[in-house]
Amino acid sequence: MEQNDKLRRLEIFEADALGFSTQLFRVALRVCRDREQAEDLIQETYLQAWRSFHRFEIGTNLRAWLYKILFNVHYSEVRRGRPELAPIEEMIAETIAYDPPTPQHLTEEDVLAALERIPRDFQVPVVLADVEELSYREIADALQIPLGTVMSRLSRGRKLLRMELANYARGAGYQVAN
Amino acid sequence: MDCQNFKELLDSYLCGELAVETNHTMLCHAERCCVCRGEMAARRRLRASLRSACSKEKMSDQAMESLRARIRSEAGVGAQAARIVNGKWMRGWFGGLSKAWFLTPAVVALLLVAALGLYVLRRGNSDEVRRLTPEQIKALELSGSLMADSASGHRGCAVHFVNAAGPAEMPDSVREYDPACVGLEKIAAEGAGGLLLRAAHVCESGDRKFAHLVYTRGGGLVSLFVTVRDCQALKSGAAPPFSGLSLGPQRFTLDHIAVGAYQTLKRIVLVASDLSEDETGALLERLARPVVEHLRKTEAGAGLEERLVGFEGREKNEFNRD
Repeated sequence: MEQNDKLRRLEIFEADALGFSTQLFRVALRVCRDREQAEDLIQETYLQAWRSFHRFEIGTNLRAWLYKILFNVHYSEVRRGRPELAPIEEMIAETIAYDPPTPQHLTEEDVLAALERIPRDFQVPVVLADVEELSYREIADALQIPLGTVMSRLSRGRKLLRMELANYARGAGYQVAN
Repeated sequence: MDCQNFKELLDSYLCGELAVETNHTMLCHAERCCVCRGEMAARRRLRASLRSACSKEKMSDQAMESLRARIRSEAGVGAQAARIVNGKWMRGWFGGLSKAWFLTPAVVALLLVAALGLYVLRRGNSDEVRRLTPEQIKALELSGSLMADSASGHRGCAVHFVNAAGPAEMPDSVREYDPACVGLEKIAAEGAGGLLLRAAHVCESGDRKFAHLVYTRGGGLVSLFVTVRDCQALKSGAAPPFSGLSLGPQRFTLDHIAVGAYQTLKRIVLVASDLSEDETGALLERLARPVVEHLRKTEAGAGLEERLVGFEGREKNEFNRD
């Protein structure tokens, strides 16, 4: 009987939770910046998720729950709890007083390259919001930071991305409005 | 709102994170300011490029297999049980059937007949799509006035109900406009999960009347319209004697409002929203399907049948005469 329950739970886990593996991997890649490490992070995330799955309430937000576990695993792996962001944010704030118009005529490769160039602590919220379409609240829960900090990092991350793209576009000879 | 405020709020608007009132203010500003309208379009494109570029990154099959194996090992599931989880067809009554199927030729025959039936059905459906000639597809093109009326109906009418206390009910007077739209909100409810119904009424936009359901989701507004498929609704100036259902939804974006439309024989169902095109696309299918299905059945019950074969032009169109 117990074995049947476990099989049923495993079946649900494989069908539902593993369905998010591609999305989680994309975020893990941004966090680790290394494919092999990202795959390891996903393995550890799912193992921990499976160990806690009996406590998960079916019907609640499985995706947000998995992201939260992913960042928990990541934070514990780097052994520094929450990342120190304040100095970076202050530094960045000085450099992005100017918000350039969004350049046009750029390829997906240009956009991806620009994303890679912005600091990870800004890159991750941008990917969570604009690629994975998590709500700001879900991002705050996953990253375990206040909602206001999420909004501030998103605003700065997006501005940095636009600046990178504008610089690239100017360098490539495209016209960018001032 | 000035351009600076608009730019600061723009990304949150595109994420659906703003209050409904602020969304409306954003749209009003975009309507007046072409520079900000351009910036809105550019940021939408940037988001789409980001999504598209990142979506190419996938875990290797080997890593995925290794992940499954580790979870199963962690779960203490042996090879036999893992096969059961892998092959869902082995479970339940079908699992039992698999043990005895070779003893019952009748079951085999039944399965073959079912497979053949499915094949014929699928072939029939694809034939129906193939039967639409380029000329017939052209005949299904929506008119500019229908597009403009539906987009402005969404912007001009729906926005007045963003804070209306839902849920709403379609008034009985809708019967005078179109009896098939009585209880429209109940028919649509099947596909309206996650949406809050704010209003249900008949309204006019331009020269066109619509049965109109207004929903909100997060900071976004969504409209479901049902209108008559008359000669003004189609670019050709005539409604053809076949529906557009085999084409799937016809999509367009006008003044930053994404719209998708399905054509039954006598009516057009439209879903308009100020959410992103992707979100509208996902909603379109879900929200419109039960309504389209209801209308299709109503029309079939009224003795209206599609005539695809032999369609050669508007002179053969019997539906335009009523």
